[in-house]
Amino acid sequence: MANSSVSGKYAGNLDIGNHNVIRGISLIYGVYLLLPIVLLMVGSLGGSWTNTLLPTGVTGQWYLDIWHDTSFRKAFWSSLVVALAACAINTVLALPLAYSLYHGARRGGALAARIVSAMPVAVPAITLAFGYMVVFNTDLAPWLGTLPLLIAAHVTLTLPYLTNTLLADLRHLDLGRLEQAAATLGASGWQQFAGIVLPSLKQSLLSGLVMVAAISVGEFGVSNLLTSFQNRTFPVLLLQAFYGATGFACAATVILLILAGASALLSSSLIKARP
Amino acid sequence: MNLALDNVSYHYPGSTQGLHELSLNVCAGELVAVIGPSGSGKSTLLKLVSGLETGHTGRIVFGGQDMSSTPVHQRRMGMVFQSYALFPHLSVLDNVAYGLKLRKVPVAERHRRAQELLGIVGLASYAKRDIGQLSGGQQQRVALARALAIDPLALLLDEPLSALDASVRGHLRDEIRAIQQRFNATTLLVTHDQEEALVMADRVAMLKDGRLLQIATPREIYQQPTSRAVAEFVGLSTILPARVSAPGRIDLGFAELFADTGARAVGTGLHAMVRPEHIQADPPPTCVNRLQGHPGAQRYLGALTRYDFEVPGASKPFLAESAVPAARAIAVAPEHIRLLDH
Repeated sequence: MANSSVSGKYAGNLDIGNHNVIRGISLIYGVYLLLPIVLLMVGSLGGSWTNTLLPTGVTGQWYLDIWHDTSFRKAFWSSLVVALAACAINTVLALPLAYSLYHGARRGGALAARIVSAMPVAVPAITLAFGYMVVFNTDLAPWLGTLPLLIAAHVTLTLPYLTNTLLADLRHLDLGRLEQAAATLGASGWQQFAGIVLPSLKQSLLSGLVMVAAISVGEFGVSNLLTSFQNRTFPVLLLQAFYGATGFACAATVILLILAGASALLSSSLIKARP
Repeated sequence: MNLALDNVSYHYPGSTQGLHELSLNVCAGELVAVIGPSGSGKSTLLKLVSGLETGHTGRIVFGGQDMSSTPVHQRRMGMVFQSYALFPHLSVLDNVAYGLKLRKVPVAERHRRAQELLGIVGLASYAKRDIGQLSGGQQQRVALARALAIDPLALLLDEPLSALDASVRGHLRDEIRAIQQRFNATTLLVTHDQEEALVMADRVAMLKDGRLLQIATPREIYQQPTSRAVAEFVGLSTILPARVSAPGRIDLGFAELFADTGARAVGTGLHAMVRPEHIQADPPPTCVNRLQGHPGAQRYLGALTRYDFEVPGASKPFLAESAVPAARAIAVAPEHIRLLDH
């Protein structure tokens, strides 16, 4: 009895010790993650920042500058147009794709579904960009640097994510079974899709699209290689801004951060809201 | 309405599973339970009748009309699934009213009808709830109401109670049966639970390897199984290989017993089946078919104890039931030894 209580106490101490270690690691990791963001925020509000640990003076001038800078406004709109277009095209493509993959997978097309899922991991975005540069820099298809091509690249990049989100939900909800139930109740194929499948997928479609928008708005590698000066997206312009005034660049980054953060929050709250 | 399967065969591509020349008749208002081990084809049977699976040969006839080529959404089959398959984005009421909405029934009328059916399944006050707020048993009641709402030609129940807790199952079983009788619904119940089949059905059809082995009333299929497969699947029993040693006598290898051998020739190999409730514990020494031995494992069931009784030389123990387990001997009356030819 006495023995077991001693060992229990010992185990408890060990537990608390472990706990503190985990806390410490989390703290260091948190600082590591958050410090750049905090520095960006400080920088965006700082007056002058050269060769010092922290900037001197406080100003809102950088944000005002961005507001008045036409190239930034233009880049902002370019990003928005590309993101929204990618969302629209993704919706049209991913819904039927995920739906047919779901039904096809049961008939032995599981490989196709796996390829779609693995694509963003297996194929680096930069490969895609180089491919585009080779193909669309020819006389036959001289579209490098145009907005439609950039949109096409973003669609290709983000399509697997949306398709995967929809596919996971189709499986999770066992929609095949629901379609069967609807069929026995008198629903034709189209009525099953419109009345059962689409409404059931509404939330995963929404959250998937927010994710698509977030990826598209923040995408740098491919955009940097494919855009022309005329339709630079926000992240591309951002890099170029860093070669100039630091405070200006910090403020622009903070804006991007707020945009991406807001859409990420929106996305996760949409997922949580599901019953 | 009468449902008849006439010489129905179906083969899953690239497998030997399916149905082989199955004929089955379900009378109007009758509940036929289809039982069998997994892979026996019982689910295939239900899918073919519902129209969810097509491509069979033979005829599936409702009230004299062959439905084989009618697509699933025009067949008017009320189907209840093991996984409930309720629509999560619709309220309880809208789930029940879904089939009526497809039939363009006006809103007020379909809501009235759905509310009425919810009352019948005991969920009148749950109409506005989300599906996720219901327990499994409640969900299956909604599914039943939804299936009944379309005034189906037949009710198809696909393992409707298998996903539920035992405590809910027994209760819902009685309720489904009562509602089925109230609507006089021609019903096919597919289940792997033979007890459920015996309790609920007017007749029980036993399938194995895609073939119909026997269709009979619960009492008959329990008391007079025609084959070893049926006897093994329905109820508990002890089944031992035997041989007709003389008219009215069978030889089990370790003992010779009196049994009704009918017109079977001496030397015929067969199996002898005994139900546990027909084994008499510690009979008087003069009793016929008396076997000496000793009791094995015991399971206390309250009013009864189910126990194994080891008889020297027997390949397996006898399964017996009685208030007090036998200590030294058991006996089986000759009329309670059922002989199975295959």
